[in-house]
Amino acid sequence: MTAAAPEVLRLDRVGKRYPMGDTVVDALVDASFTLHEGEAVAILGPSGSGKSTLMHLLGFLDSPSSGEILFEGRPVAVITERQRAQIRAEKIGFVFQAFNLLPRLTVRANVALPLSYHGSPPADADARIARALALVDMTHRAHHRPGELSGGQRQRVAIARALVNEPRILLADEPTGNLDTKTAAAILDLFKELNRLGRTIVVVTHSPEIAGHFRRQLHVLDGRVKEGGAR
Amino acid sequence: MKRLFSGVINGLIEIWGHKLRSLLTICCVMLGVASMVLTTGFMEGFFKGWEVSLQEQGGLEKITGTPSSPSERQAPLAAVSRGFTPRDARALAELVPGLEIISPEIDAVRARLTRAGKSYDGRRGGRVQGVTNAAFEINRYELESGRFFSDLDFNDHASVIVIGGSVKKALFKPGENPLGEFVEMNGQPFRVVGVLKTYERLWGDFNTLYWKNDIAFVPLATMAAKVQRSDRLTGLNFKAPDVTRLRETLDAASNVLAQTHRGIIDFDVRTNEEQLASFASTKASFVIGGSAIAGVSLLVSGIGIMNLMLASINERVREIGIRKAVGATPFNIFSQFVAEAVTLSLIGGLAGVGVAVGLIQALSAMLPPGNGPLLAPSAFVVGFAFSVTAGVLAGVYPAIQAAKLDPIEALRYE
Repeated sequence: MTAAAPEVLRLDRVGKRYPMGDTVVDALVDASFTLHEGEAVAILGPSGSGKSTLMHLLGFLDSPSSGEILFEGRPVAVITERQRAQIRAEKIGFVFQAFNLLPRLTVRANVALPLSYHGSPPADADARIARALALVDMTHRAHHRPGELSGGQRQRVAIARALVNEPRILLADEPTGNLDTKTAAAILDLFKELNRLGRTIVVVTHSPEIAGHFRRQLHVLDGRVKEGGAR
Repeated sequence: MKRLFSGVINGLIEIWGHKLRSLLTICCVMLGVASMVLTTGFMEGFFKGWEVSLQEQGGLEKITGTPSSPSERQAPLAAVSRGFTPRDARALAELVPGLEIISPEIDAVRARLTRAGKSYDGRRGGRVQGVTNAAFEINRYELESGRFFSDLDFNDHASVIVIGGSVKKALFKPGENPLGEFVEMNGQPFRVVGVLKTYERLWGDFNTLYWKNDIAFVPLATMAAKVQRSDRLTGLNFKAPDVTRLRETLDAASNVLAQTHRGIIDFDVRTNEEQLASFASTKASFVIGGSAIAGVSLLVSGIGIMNLMLASINERVREIGIRKAVGATPFNIFSQFVAEAVTLSLIGGLAGVGVAVGLIQALSAMLPPGNGPLLAPSAFVVGFAFSVTAGVLAGVYPAIQAAKLDPIEALRYE
């Protein structure tokens, strides 16, 4: 990893506590690490280890109880809900285990969704949607609805949606969890290809095998984040 | 603008996604708007009819003077007064400023018009009056054919008559021209010189303007000299120069009449204001009633829309989470749901206006012309505004709920 690459996200002793009944649960304790542009990182941990919490914090869907998160060097805590939504719309791409496509919209409309939340919709929106669909090889299904697609196809549409805003960082939460082995491998290849093209990628997974596909690994266990082996 | 449009499109997709549920809600709004537009239409028709009647009676500026019994205190002196005479008319013209149209009238007692075996006895309130041409102006009579009276008719006490539509119908065959023909009043021949227009404003089968047709006129002087053999007036109507001077003219006229009647108040002068007042108060109560109906409809449609929106949000928690994850601000979510509610109510509103238009046209075709419901442009504006308001009001609360959803909770929601 080249240390000269610009920093995208930095966590500085980030903690997250949830009240649960009478007690509080520490989902994350003193997590500190930095993500640089062009990295491919796997966040590895068993279920309940706090990796989903970490993922939500990275995408500002949640706020930390302690510590500080900086996006492009700016502390996230001081910016408004609206600005955070705008960063999500313009600079972050999300891929979920359950795909999370909107069933009533066509593939194309699903992919177009993030662009509609841009402050000013880009002039080349149509070209971007076409490019994103072509990248995941889904152009021919653009006018179908998600219900008419297979799991792998749906995930490819979800990835196209995450890419359409040309994000600084792509966050994927168990992206292959609902897919069979072969389709999962194809999706992983797609991620690797995207990373080769320069995209910053963070994949959350419970599978060491999948994590093995990525150069840098962060292990999460009982809310603590440790740097794992880098290949 | 573009966002609003895409909001509406989004709303349409959602509505299409829940066809039955949306249809029921749209029906709510549709019925509300339709009932409102219909109510407004009936009210407009009703008041239009009333207003026309009021106009036909001479409008607001008309002041009616009629003989009345003097008070008990003055009764022993009643004979001092000569009652209403043509001199009163001259005195009014001279002494009341601005008063130009003065109509002294003498009603014939038990006048019976006959012609060639046919008769018209005005049993149904019809009457023969001796008048000057001012009567035609004050009471808004227009000629169908012929003429009103000339100076010569008055000077000569000419036996000429102007007849109303019902009289013509009773004494002449259809298509027969009454002008120049003679009719007999209590045996005396009168030459027809004018025929009045037939006035019609139907209320069901009933012509509310029948009294304008059941009438015949002869010159005042003729009536006094040849029929009644007395110049005592049965009525003295006059017209204020304009509505703002109504009260002033009424007071001045009362004073002049008190003078000419030698202080005996054996007359009564009144304006159409009382009618107008009841017109206004009835209209006000109708408007209040109409507003209550509108309010209830608004409430019902609003509840329908809100119910649908809340159900829809519960079902779409996940969608809201997804939208937030890909960058929707709370305001984006809020406006999406408000736009959906407004789209829904707009469709209902347009359908409601359509239904109302259809019903009004059907009713107008069935009911006799003149008093059916009217399609006021205001009804469309009101119906439209109504549905948008219901949509916005009912959409805001669910939309706030949607906007407040925590994206993580929403994403976790299965």
